[in-house]
Amino acid sequence: MERLLRRGFMERGFLLLVVLMFLEGTVFPLGAASSPDISAPDGAGGHERNDDHRGIDNYTFPKKAFPVLSLDYGHIQMPFEISLWVLLASLMKLGFHLIPRLSGIVPESCLLIVVGLLVGGLIKLAGEEVPPVLDSKLFFLCLLPPIILDAGYFLPIRPFMENIGTILMFAVIGTLWNAFFVGGLLFAVCQIEGTHLSQVELLPCLLFGSIISAVDPVAVLAVFEEIHINELLHILVFGESLLNDAVTVVLYHLFEEYSGAGEVTLMDAFLGVICFLIVSLGGVAVGAIYGILAAFTSRFTSHTRVIEPLFVFVYSYMAYLSAEMFHLSGIMALIACGAVTRPYVEANISHKSHTTIKYFLKMWSSVSETLIFIFLGVATVAGPHAWNWTFVSVTVILCLVSRVIGVVGLTFIINKFRIVKLTTKDQFIVAYGGLRGAIAFSLGYLLDKDHFPMRTMFLTAIITEIFFTVFVQGMTIKPLVDLLAVKKKQEAKRSINEEIHTQFLDHLLTGIEDICGHYGHHHWKDKLNRFNKKYIKKCLIAGERYKEPQLIAFYHKMEFKQAIELVESGGGVKMPAAMPLQVSMQNIQPKKQPPMAADRALPQFTKNREEEIRKILRSNLQKTRQRLRSYNRHTLVADPYEDGWSEYMLKKQRMIELEKKMTQMSNYLTVPAAPSDSPTMRRARLASDPNAFYTIKAPPGNVPTIQVELASPQSPDSVNLVDEFSKKGGSSQKNTDDRKEEQGRMMKPPSNKNPGLLRCLSDPGPSNEDEEDEPFLP
Amino acid sequence: MGSTNSTLSKIPNVEELMRETGFSPAHIVRLYDRFESLDKEKTGHLRPEDFGAINRLAMNPIGDRIIGAFFSSGQDTVDFHSFVRILAHFRPAENNRPRDPSLPEPVNSRISKLKFAFQLYDLDKDGKISRAELLQVLRSMMEMQVTEEQLESIADRTIQEADLDRDDAISFEEFRKVPLGDTLTLTQQRVASK
Repeated sequence: MERLLRRGFMERGFLLLVVLMFLEGTVFPLGAASSPDISAPDGAGGHERNDDHRGIDNYTFPKKAFPVLSLDYGHIQMPFEISLWVLLASLMKLGFHLIPRLSGIVPESCLLIVVGLLVGGLIKLAGEEVPPVLDSKLFFLCLLPPIILDAGYFLPIRPFMENIGTILMFAVIGTLWNAFFVGGLLFAVCQIEGTHLSQVELLPCLLFGSIISAVDPVAVLAVFEEIHINELLHILVFGESLLNDAVTVVLYHLFEEYSGAGEVTLMDAFLGVICFLIVSLGGVAVGAIYGILAAFTSRFTSHTRVIEPLFVFVYSYMAYLSAEMFHLSGIMALIACGAVTRPYVEANISHKSHTTIKYFLKMWSSVSETLIFIFLGVATVAGPHAWNWTFVSVTVILCLVSRVIGVVGLTFIINKFRIVKLTTKDQFIVAYGGLRGAIAFSLGYLLDKDHFPMRTMFLTAIITEIFFTVFVQGMTIKPLVDLLAVKKKQEAKRSINEEIHTQFLDHLLTGIEDICGHYGHHHWKDKLNRFNKKYIKKCLIAGERYKEPQLIAFYHKMEFKQAIELVESGGGVKMPAAMPLQVSMQNIQPKKQPPMAADRALPQFTKNREEEIRKILRSNLQKTRQRLRSYNRHTLVADPYEDGWSEYMLKKQRMIELEKKMTQMSNYLTVPAAPSDSPTMRRARLASDPNAFYTIKAPPGNVPTIQVELASPQSPDSVNLVDEFSKKGGSSQKNTDDRKEEQGRMMKPPSNKNPGLLRCLSDPGPSNEDEEDEPFLP
Repeated sequence: MGSTNSTLSKIPNVEELMRETGFSPAHIVRLYDRFESLDKEKTGHLRPEDFGAINRLAMNPIGDRIIGAFFSSGQDTVDFHSFVRILAHFRPAENNRPRDPSLPEPVNSRISKLKFAFQLYDLDKDGKISRAELLQVLRSMMEMQVTEEQLESIADRTIQEADLDRDDAISFEEFRKVPLGDTLTLTQQRVASK
């Protein structure tokens, strides 16, 4: 065992060594470049300089021997460097997960910034000029869009929409409050004698305030990933970070415009408000238009499946660029595009394209995020810095204070309108999780040197604030969350009764809650859904697939997964009709523990049996919708809030119960009976007596009296049933008949175990006949 | 609040309802809106199929029992008053007020909620949860991997643990004794609070 550990350690050490050497090796070429900026022609200048030294001088000495092997770095310099940076980022990401303890304590973003600092330091030590890697153009056009698109495409729509009011409050009013509070107080501090800052005027201060007050989506995502908070908080903070972009853009442009003029009038403020509306709504509109275009295009791609993902990416990117062109909010456009595209595109494209889109988005956003943090570190080293103790420290303190006050105040107001209130712990997380990131830095970088002589001081303060939030807040948020977490009761000591009854009550309360429904959202959401189904889906989804196609493909996928899981767990119990209950006995053997003395005076049950029962209970009781399930952006699980999922669960339930019945049926000697009425007669009889399933009391007279037609398991009807079941999504009516008869034969007290089957009559799902003709998605 | 008042006036005997159940006018209005949206054919009564149309309720393993509880007295329709009366069980309890022991048990106290839950277990209404009834509940709550034999042993174990008077069934008194902690109080806020 120790040997294994040692070997693993050595491997890791070796890999780290390789990475470090690689790092060293890459520093020199990177330093030799002047800028990786795409549009800069300086690279060509550097290239020429190198050329002279490299001796590609065929032209001056035509009689020289033909160069068999030559080095021409300048030729491939730009793409080479870009690839090197990307490779560096990916290797770093790999490296961190090999060091187990470190990744637990320090969030990844911090480590990446440190790496960036190292690389920048190395470049500087080598005497070369550090490339301005966090150039705003590169950042806003290349690094930011993948992350935002990934976030928008996989945005959980339902929680987002349910909390949209809260999110908007935080994003708009919270950011405004932060900007003015920080900017105003900073100006006041600057006016104090002795700080040597009196040349900083009001408007630049407000501009600074607006830059630094915006919560950054990249940093939030990176840190929240690791602390596994519940979905509600995640969507609140994350949604806020996305939507505050519009506010930031407007404020930024407003103050930047008028800093030269020196004052902002009321008219300007009014125009600013109008601008805000245009920026945000315009951005969303642009995104939605492109999204619909993408959906429409995907309707026709059935013959060229290979380029389907490309459409999604290109349309989204163009939405971003178009919005940026008009100075609208590009982030909101991207989010809108992703969110609008997804439901329609997913119905049209093939399964493989769907996977491709998922993986590409995750990959790009991951690399982008890593690169951003590394570049932050490099840019810090690059400088130039103008450190001013007062300014910087006041900034940091004020940001924290204003955030806390803002969150507390807003929550107080918001809680009056919310059904699920935000507790103090929630508020703390929202306030403490308001991290600043690279967007603030890039915005600061964009400032014009001439208009803003204090630009360097601003940049220094911004970087300090970013470092503070990412390092201090990022590192401490996890322990603080754990500290504040409510301790759960020890599960092991709960009695079986408690477990069962608690679960029962949980189901009961969830059911009541569902009956009461969610107020307020009900009507217009319904109307929207109906509109969606009737008109939009018809336009944007190809062919007849708009009925409920992805459900079937989805069901198949789940079936495969389940089948594989069953095989892997070695407990393939549910083989209907052929395998009797002996197979199920095998399941019990592996769970038995070595016999221990029973310590309770219960005659029949030994302790190991009790343990086994507890284990079964714990793992098998159906969990109700867990509101506190942790949310992780990097896992590619199916969205459980999709409508298809609930339909799937319903059908799975029916299938489970049918299979249970089938195994029981197999125990009985079956008398081959004459084949009964046609299925249509049975269906008719069933349809005419729906109430039979809903009588709870079920006096004996109501026992379904269709005992005459006994279909044995070996009869062609039931065999078809089983086959159909494994192939299709569940043939509802035939099951019901078999079950009813089976009940009568076994003469058990009639239990309405499965009126779920009957619900399909009221459920507007696809009927049997349609299912057979439905084409499976390739 | 104008719309509240106008909706309230549509409901007959609304003051008596409010007094009996303790819901505020705003709550009653919300429940009425919900009732109306469930009652697709506008008959003024709800039938089992209307409840069945609630998707999430269909997914609930004991959803059918909950629906059944609304129709407990053998009728096949439920009107708004009965609807509200049953939902009143789940209004958050005011635990801190000292209760006058001479008044009848408030409809949303902890005991009433437990009684309601007990009734969902005890389908034949004999005042006890028999082994067969428990088995049914377990079957519907458990997922696929549990065999019949395991279910039966769980049921046996459960009854053994809780059954104090050895009659092989769980009566309401025995049910009350199970320490169920905060389950009942935690989630109620979602149901009936603003």
